[in-house]
Amino acid sequence: MKKRNELEKIMFHPTGTDLKPYEWMISATPQQEWIDKKGIFLLLAFFFTEIGAGLYFISLFYQYRTGLILGWLISLILGGGVHVLYLGNPFRAWRMLMKPQTSELSRGMWIIGIFAVAGFVQIVTSNFGPVFNVIMGILSLLIISHGFMTMNVIRALAAWSSTMVIPLSIISGVWIGCQMFQFMLAVSGNQMAQSFEIWSQILLIVYFVCVLLYIWGTYHASETAEKSISLMLKGDLAKYFYGGVVLIGFMLPLLITLKMWDGDINAGLIFLRLALIFAGDIAMRYIIMKSAMYQPLI
Amino acid sequence: MARWGMVIDVKRCIACWSCTISCKEEHFLPPNVFWNRVLIGEAGKFPTSRKLIYPVLCNHCADAACVDACPTGATYKREDGIVAVDYDKCVGCRACLISCPYQQRTYYDEEKKNAEYFPGQGKTEYEKIGEKLYPFTCGTVMKCNFCTERIEEGLEKGLTPGTDDEASPACVIACPVGARIFGDLDDSESEISRLIMEKNGKQLHPEFGTEPAVYYID
Amino acid sequence: MTYKTDEIWEDKWVNTTCGVCYCGCACRVRVVNGVPVKIEGIKESTMGGTGAGLCGKGVAGLMYYHDPNRIKKPLRRTNPEKGFGVDPKWKEIEWDEALEEISTRMKKIMEDNPNKILFTNQTMRASDGPHNHLYFYAKAFGIPNNGNFIIGGGSLHCGNAAHMLGGLIHGAWSIAPDWRYTKYVLKWGSSKGTGSGHSALINARLRADGIRRGIKEIVFDPMGNFAGGKATQWVAILPGTDTAVGLAIANYILNTRGEIDELYLRAKTNFVYLIREDGTFIRDKETDKPLVFDEKAKTIKVFDDPSIAFEDFALEGDYEHNGEKCRPCFMALKEHLKQFTPEWASKISTVPVATILEIAKGWVDNAQIGSTITIEGQTFPYRPVSSVTFRGSQGHSNGIHQVASIDLISQLVGAEDVPGGTMGWPSRRPKYPGGQYERMPKVGKDGVIVPSVFYSHDPWPVHPPTYPCTNSGCVEFWSHSTLSHIPYVKEKNYIQEKFGVEKVQPEMIFGIAVNFLISQSDWDVALDNFKDCFVVLMDIWVNETDQAIGDIILPDTSYLEKDTWSSEIDSFFFSGSPSYEDWYVHLQKPVAKPVGESRDFMNVYLDVANRVGVLDKYHELLNEYYSITDEKLKLKPGEVLTWKEIGERILTWVYGNDKEKIQEQGFATWHKEIEDVYWRWNMPTRCPVYMEFLIHDRRAAEKIMKDTGFELEMEMDQYGPLPNWFWPTSHKELDNEFDLLAFSYRDILHTNNSTFQNPLIDEVSQMSPYTFTITLNKGLADEKGFKDGDIIWMENKYGTKENGIVKTMEAQHPKVLGVCGQGGLWADGRPIAKGKGSNFCKLLPSYLRHYDPITGNIETSVAVKIYKD
Repeated sequence: MKKRNELEKIMFHPTGTDLKPYEWMISATPQQEWIDKKGIFLLLAFFFTEIGAGLYFISLFYQYRTGLILGWLISLILGGGVHVLYLGNPFRAWRMLMKPQTSELSRGMWIIGIFAVAGFVQIVTSNFGPVFNVIMGILSLLIISHGFMTMNVIRALAAWSSTMVIPLSIISGVWIGCQMFQFMLAVSGNQMAQSFEIWSQILLIVYFVCVLLYIWGTYHASETAEKSISLMLKGDLAKYFYGGVVLIGFMLPLLITLKMWDGDINAGLIFLRLALIFAGDIAMRYIIMKSAMYQPLI
Repeated sequence: MARWGMVIDVKRCIACWSCTISCKEEHFLPPNVFWNRVLIGEAGKFPTSRKLIYPVLCNHCADAACVDACPTGATYKREDGIVAVDYDKCVGCRACLISCPYQQRTYYDEEKKNAEYFPGQGKTEYEKIGEKLYPFTCGTVMKCNFCTERIEEGLEKGLTPGTDDEASPACVIACPVGARIFGDLDDSESEISRLIMEKNGKQLHPEFGTEPAVYYID
Repeated sequence: MTYKTDEIWEDKWVNTTCGVCYCGCACRVRVVNGVPVKIEGIKESTMGGTGAGLCGKGVAGLMYYHDPNRIKKPLRRTNPEKGFGVDPKWKEIEWDEALEEISTRMKKIMEDNPNKILFTNQTMRASDGPHNHLYFYAKAFGIPNNGNFIIGGGSLHCGNAAHMLGGLIHGAWSIAPDWRYTKYVLKWGSSKGTGSGHSALINARLRADGIRRGIKEIVFDPMGNFAGGKATQWVAILPGTDTAVGLAIANYILNTRGEIDELYLRAKTNFVYLIREDGTFIRDKETDKPLVFDEKAKTIKVFDDPSIAFEDFALEGDYEHNGEKCRPCFMALKEHLKQFTPEWASKISTVPVATILEIAKGWVDNAQIGSTITIEGQTFPYRPVSSVTFRGSQGHSNGIHQVASIDLISQLVGAEDVPGGTMGWPSRRPKYPGGQYERMPKVGKDGVIVPSVFYSHDPWPVHPPTYPCTNSGCVEFWSHSTLSHIPYVKEKNYIQEKFGVEKVQPEMIFGIAVNFLISQSDWDVALDNFKDCFVVLMDIWVNETDQAIGDIILPDTSYLEKDTWSSEIDSFFFSGSPSYEDWYVHLQKPVAKPVGESRDFMNVYLDVANRVGVLDKYHELLNEYYSITDEKLKLKPGEVLTWKEIGERILTWVYGNDKEKIQEQGFATWHKEIEDVYWRWNMPTRCPVYMEFLIHDRRAAEKIMKDTGFELEMEMDQYGPLPNWFWPTSHKELDNEFDLLAFSYRDILHTNNSTFQNPLIDEVSQMSPYTFTITLNKGLADEKGFKDGDIIWMENKYGTKENGIVKTMEAQHPKVLGVCGQGGLWADGRPIAKGKGSNFCKLLPSYLRHYDPITGNIETSVAVKIYKD
């Protein structure tokens, strides 16, 4: 956001955006509730829920119990907890189960609820039967895409209803899940960490291609969506995009990946890469949430 | 059962903001909360540009995005077409607020509750009595209710919303140039149905498919 | 959600009159448990908008009562230093102490010369009620005319020229289109019907209905905002150049098309009066009446000779009277207009030639000359074209010529006070049925209407300039100024010295709810001119003028606390309905108890008058003003009454037996006869469109100037009988550096600067793109490298500057910049207003040459340069 000059501070109530009150819904108007102030909790909630589910998803393939437990905990305790913190009336959270027929949020709550119970059963019983695994896999993917799915159904925000939003969210969840998984393998000295690197190499590229496709697709979706992308690439959010998504989320992880290209993996570097893609992914989510704008009314 | 709707005659409107301010007084809305606004813009280029004036409020959509988005059922569609909010059920997730293409919803929180019309000088008697007469619940989302109270009380007295002031929304009766016409969209004989037909009433952003109950004529 | 009914012990509506601007719309206030909580209009009254509609600022008026910044007790300045940025070090004092000091000072001054006391009030009613009582209150102190008033409120931007012409032509304060029957409206820098001006909501309601019916409304304005933005056609024009277009249209009507309402011109104007070579009227030796030529009798007669039929008054021809050649002055007009071609007008005004011609053609085509209409069984000439002006176009150093040329268009087609035409506000108000009080205009010298009520100064009969002057306004010299400009003029001391006023230098100011220091022109000049007075002001808060120069500030009640019977009785001539609608008169009924120790200023007036010893005189003047003949009701010597008690008597006089009913419901309504609306052909008056008196005025003024050695620049050529083109001072000051004309306009949300302190209005002002910003044409901004949100400075040739935030718009003339009036406030007593918007007024230079030499209007546009912060 631009710094407000002295006269502006006196004359105009802060809108929380660069718009003056008289520009509201006359220029493309950024959404604020789901990113500014307490809205930042929602970003974190979506992030934790999804990376937790991502870790669960990957761990499922390897029947890696520590990963499952950690994934389950991150998704539910961190993700769910932060979710509840965001709410205006947290004690009424149970009411969110009331409208699954129309509300994506409500459906998400059901899925999280089912995942919580089923995951708990799986972890406790160590049941990795194919049926159970398929169910848990699907649930994990649904949870990974929960946040972006909730955003995606909002037709009023063109940047979110873009077609690449769901693929991007799934890839991002899986990508981070797999990095956490690899890191856990690496620190526990599990040799599988080495052979897993190939997935990291592939997913890093796929993830970034998805980001680019999101940008390309959204840019061409509508006039307002184009403004959102311009804000990312040229406007106030450019620093987060180039610094966060491109440099921290892709270039630096790419350097680390290239460094380990000859198969010489190293827990320290994997940790560093994980930290970077955490930051990069949060930046990616932040700018997608922050850049969404409503089409002017007149 | 009626389906309440509104026609706003943009040709008549002179952007005096009476609708906005009357609405605030009717519902004792705190500072910087608006259930009714006037948008002012421009179209075209000098010297043939046109001033655009659009009073906006909740559209009470037939297929409301907010109703669909609400996970608790706090936001719901009444039989008379009014999109209402039950503050007792609202969890404050703001999915409705985010979903509304018209951005007619406001999240009411401690900051808004504590805001003063004369900042730093305490609440006026007007604000204090408003909190008693028309209380809001922190952590919930609020918006225009088409003055449901007036409509319901009016109907009980045998009055007709849109015809009798007492039974009509505050913004409708406040308009000094008769730019707001309220009535039953389902009644093809009603004044608003006739105006929509005759003057080719238009909704804002019909492409969102929400079927607003507020129409504009020029 | 439902109301918590168990906590409510009172929930009622009180009828009163809105006091947020000077329109005085009917309003009612919801009061819950003694607290005013909502304001609406009154459906049963046409004093205002559609149904129970009321404009936004009227609805927001609630906050005048609730504002914690209201003054609760009288304040005394303890810091003798005065000026901007000086802390007055207020001390609260008791009412008695304040009133004793005021009256003691007044008595002392009056022993010397009462003309050393200046009075001032405002043109809105945040605190006002009985508008015009101030003028005869001052009379009680021995102040005979309007020379002792400092214009407050709308200041000299308001309407010295418009009021003068409204009075001369219509016997009314202002003019409006007959929205009900008109088809074609020209608005020149006026926002009638789009939210501002007199009877704003009555006009807005009637206009909205008319526009829906298909009226064509053409607005000449530097910006397409309130009026232009709603017009069917907005024509961008440079400020102060309306005269040029008006004269070109008049030339088209008269000389190109030759389609005029001859009968009207013969019957209802002074164009038939015979003039000699030098342009002055030939008068009958015995009666001093102007002479006319009777075409039928082929002889010269006095103008009001009943033997002449309307159609026989000669408009043209060369005649001889007592050996002197003469001709009707219409011929002078006809020749005079020939020079004003559309091409010429286009170069001055920037309005394209084709546009001028198209509008002129539309005017003549729509005028339906010769047609009649029958309404309520009565037949009137039907002229559905109307040309109106107000604050914008008339506020220039060529103001009188602006309004006269705009009026001339209506005159030529006979569209004056007939259905569809240009209307004055009601010029006559008959008795309330069963009541006693009425106001009827008279036919004055030369057949010109003498208004039944007019503020401060009657426009007719006119008086040529004389000297020595007796008051600081020098109104003996500037005899056409509604209120004088001299108190604000930079060369005030020089002027007063030349005109013999140095011995009556003002020593005291007594005013109500004014902010004259910052709402007129150059602040420093105003400060210099007023700071040495002992300044007593009544207001509901401490404003900029109070803070800078106030010595004693008295807490007034707001309009919501007033019990004022007198607010509307005489307002028909500027705030009733100019249309054919029933008469409505409203009272101000108290909605809540006075805040703190605040007192209604009328009671303070009475108290001061009593202490000074002029109360009996004031009573006498009131008896006279209301023509009270009933001894029981007369105010008697020695009586000490409150304003309410006085009201009990006067209301009985005005309303007879219905008094109590009217007091109870808060308003009175009775039928308006149609001939009181369309009175033009029922009253034997003639419009003085040929302003012959200005020839005499010029001679008198020039003699005085010569005799006194008066050397200040005054454009004496403006003293001519026919509307003519003169460049406004602002245009003369344009050059390569100061290349833009800044102008101001009224925002629908604001009344001068009082509304800036209202938080409900403040909120929506922020959502209005042009209210707090400086507007520039988008192309101009691009060219100069400015964009939305930039802070820029506007600076005039005299080094005065003001900053603000840029808002670009397409609908603005590319050579101007617009500022909505009176922002840029700084008083500590009004924290909501502080710093909001930009102040335009301070940019107006205040040398005598910046004023209309005839009416005293200030030039309200100014050459400026702009640059980034």
